[in-house]
Amino acid sequence: MMPVVLKSAIAIFKRDIKKFLSNPFIIMMALLSPIMFLIIFGNAMGGTLTHIPVGVVQEVPPYNDTPLFTSAAYQLNHISQGSENNAEKELDVTIYTDEAQAKQDLANGKISAVIVFPSSVSNDNAVRVYVDSSDSTTPPLIQAAVTQVLLELGANHPVIVDKIYGDITYIEFFGVGIIMMAIFTSTSFGGGIALIKDRENGIHEGYLVTPIKRSSIIMGIIASGTVRAFIAGFTIFWIDLLITGIILQSFQNFLLVLLVIFIACVGVTSLVVSFASRFSVQQEYQSVIAFLNLILFFTSGAFYPVIGMPGWLRWITLINPEYYGVDALRSILLRNQGLNVIGIDLVALLIFSMAMIILGVVTYRRTLE
Amino acid sequence: MFLIFRNENTDDDGYNKKTKTEGKMAQMMDNSVGDDSAIIRIDHLSKVFAGKTKTVIADNDISFEVMRGEIFGLLGSNGAGKSTLIRILTTLLSPTSGQAFVNNYDITKDQEKIRSIIGVCPQNYTSDVELTAYDNLEFYGKLQNVPDSILPDRIMELLKMAGLEDRAYMPVSTFSGGMKRKLEIVRAFIHHPLILFLDEPTIGLDPDARREVWQQIMTLNKEHTTIILTTHYMDEAEKLCGRIAFVDRGKLLALDSMENLRQLIPAGDLIEIGVAHMDPLAEEAIRKIDLVNAVSVVEHMVTISATNGSRVITSILAVFEQYAIPVISISIRSPSLEDIFIYLTGKGIDSGNGTCNEAARRKSP
Repeated sequence: MMPVVLKSAIAIFKRDIKKFLSNPFIIMMALLSPIMFLIIFGNAMGGTLTHIPVGVVQEVPPYNDTPLFTSAAYQLNHISQGSENNAEKELDVTIYTDEAQAKQDLANGKISAVIVFPSSVSNDNAVRVYVDSSDSTTPPLIQAAVTQVLLELGANHPVIVDKIYGDITYIEFFGVGIIMMAIFTSTSFGGGIALIKDRENGIHEGYLVTPIKRSSIIMGIIASGTVRAFIAGFTIFWIDLLITGIILQSFQNFLLVLLVIFIACVGVTSLVVSFASRFSVQQEYQSVIAFLNLILFFTSGAFYPVIGMPGWLRWITLINPEYYGVDALRSILLRNQGLNVIGIDLVALLIFSMAMIILGVVTYRRTLE
Repeated sequence: MFLIFRNENTDDDGYNKKTKTEGKMAQMMDNSVGDDSAIIRIDHLSKVFAGKTKTVIADNDISFEVMRGEIFGLLGSNGAGKSTLIRILTTLLSPTSGQAFVNNYDITKDQEKIRSIIGVCPQNYTSDVELTAYDNLEFYGKLQNVPDSILPDRIMELLKMAGLEDRAYMPVSTFSGGMKRKLEIVRAFIHHPLILFLDEPTIGLDPDARREVWQQIMTLNKEHTTIILTTHYMDEAEKLCGRIAFVDRGKLLALDSMENLRQLIPAGDLIEIGVAHMDPLAEEAIRKIDLVNAVSVVEHMVTISATNGSRVITSILAVFEQYAIPVISISIRSPSLEDIFIYLTGKGIDSGNGTCNEAARRKSP
């Protein structure tokens, strides 16, 4: 009895190993995933925040700088993060002369904080820190830096911190990222896999002999994928609001969210479809998609502010549609910013989508070869 | 048969005989098309699949022509290169070398134009099984640019043609193999293509379903459509095709009408006569009859090969009567495609692969 059991077990073992070895691509992707996990996740998450853009400004009048302001601005600009030999600047200080202008830039997301120093004639000599609190990591860092500098200068001014968007919890920060993830997963298992399944099952052979054009195939699939992704993104958006307790500020914001989700869907779907247009085996496609999901999600800034990533990783964020989606959604939902701020994200998403559609059409295999 | 063939042309390169069709159908085609020229010309076409470990030559220097309005059969065993040839002609694969023209369009240059005049029913089922029969036809109708105004009527017409009108709104996953196949054949015909390619149209179907599919193919051919079908069933090629091309291991072995192919076998018709006993004198007498080529006696069976079996049979029976030998059974059979194929390739059509040949089994005595 025993040998028979063993014999069959060995037969199954051999068959599985043969199948495993027969597809080097999948083996490679299986090894690559954890390595990339280490590199991307390790760098994207634990990174020290450097080069945080902050503005410093002195109260007016009078219009001449106090010694405290001059030295504090200099010191803030020269605080280092990390160990001695590869120390990086923590803050990038911009000196403003107009407090209103500085606050405007803060509201538009150009800088992360405004530090207002009291003038010589001020009767209230507190240092006011207005900080972008839409992520929970930067405000304590800026506050600590200001306190440290004042201590070094021997100034005993009190520090008043104003979190301009209130106390935003991590789940609120992270939640918008999940909307992008939902878009990606629904489109990769929707539009992309449908394309490959059709090819795998030979359904393609049926319609490649009709006069249908490559562009029609790609556009049709992107359109249907976008609808599917939109439904997923929209649903997760509501669930996100319910779970995190984010409150929509206005109806205009709601419309903006819809617009961002829609354009992000086009961008992500065209990326996925342009990948899918080359693959003919579901397994290969899935291993690539899992990999892509990982890279895009971790570099989107969903977990941790993009500013904390090393330079090379930030290059990936530049071509990552999820980054623009996350950024735009955060601007609307957490910072109540409008089209003037998110416009750049939408333009980037549209350019990205166009490039991917062209790539998909060009690389689509019109024949069976 | 619905086509009468007359062999008129001679060889051009050894085995590749061009046959001109002339019959009721052919004449009708002549009138409607204006000429009876070749609709497909294949010129020294080869296809090589270069793999990592080995290179497979699927089609090796094939040349032939298909005439307007005929039903043309590509016959060969599995892996003979039939499907590859069809895929090249339908623009799904590009040839490694050689040229081919479909309705005067070059297959490597005018793919778009070719795609709009052909209908293809691939070997595998390519209908979307989750959608209904109607939806599938509508999808293909739109891909083929059938005007929206006539599309619904056209779909119902096709469903009726396939006998599926009562199943129009049922998902294809509920269909039997034969129903799926019929749906695919009419689907390929939705835009009235000039040429219809059918790759193994009856593979895996039961005898009833096969007959229905054959009927359908013949009906479509009456609508001025040139039909090219591949098959490894002898009876199918024999029943449907005006001309037949034998393909084996990527090579074209023979191309001719059934009538002419039969004459390739020197033996002529086979007459088998069952007897209780046989007289050597009678055997000698039969041998002397005109048109008789060979006689052999194995136990109680006399096998006579004659050039024209049905005419000789009376003289043969007269000999048996003369020698008072009681005849138990008589059978005359023409050599089948199977016999021709064995003669040409030296093997049975399904030898070397596991599939069982329904046609061959039914034909065997």
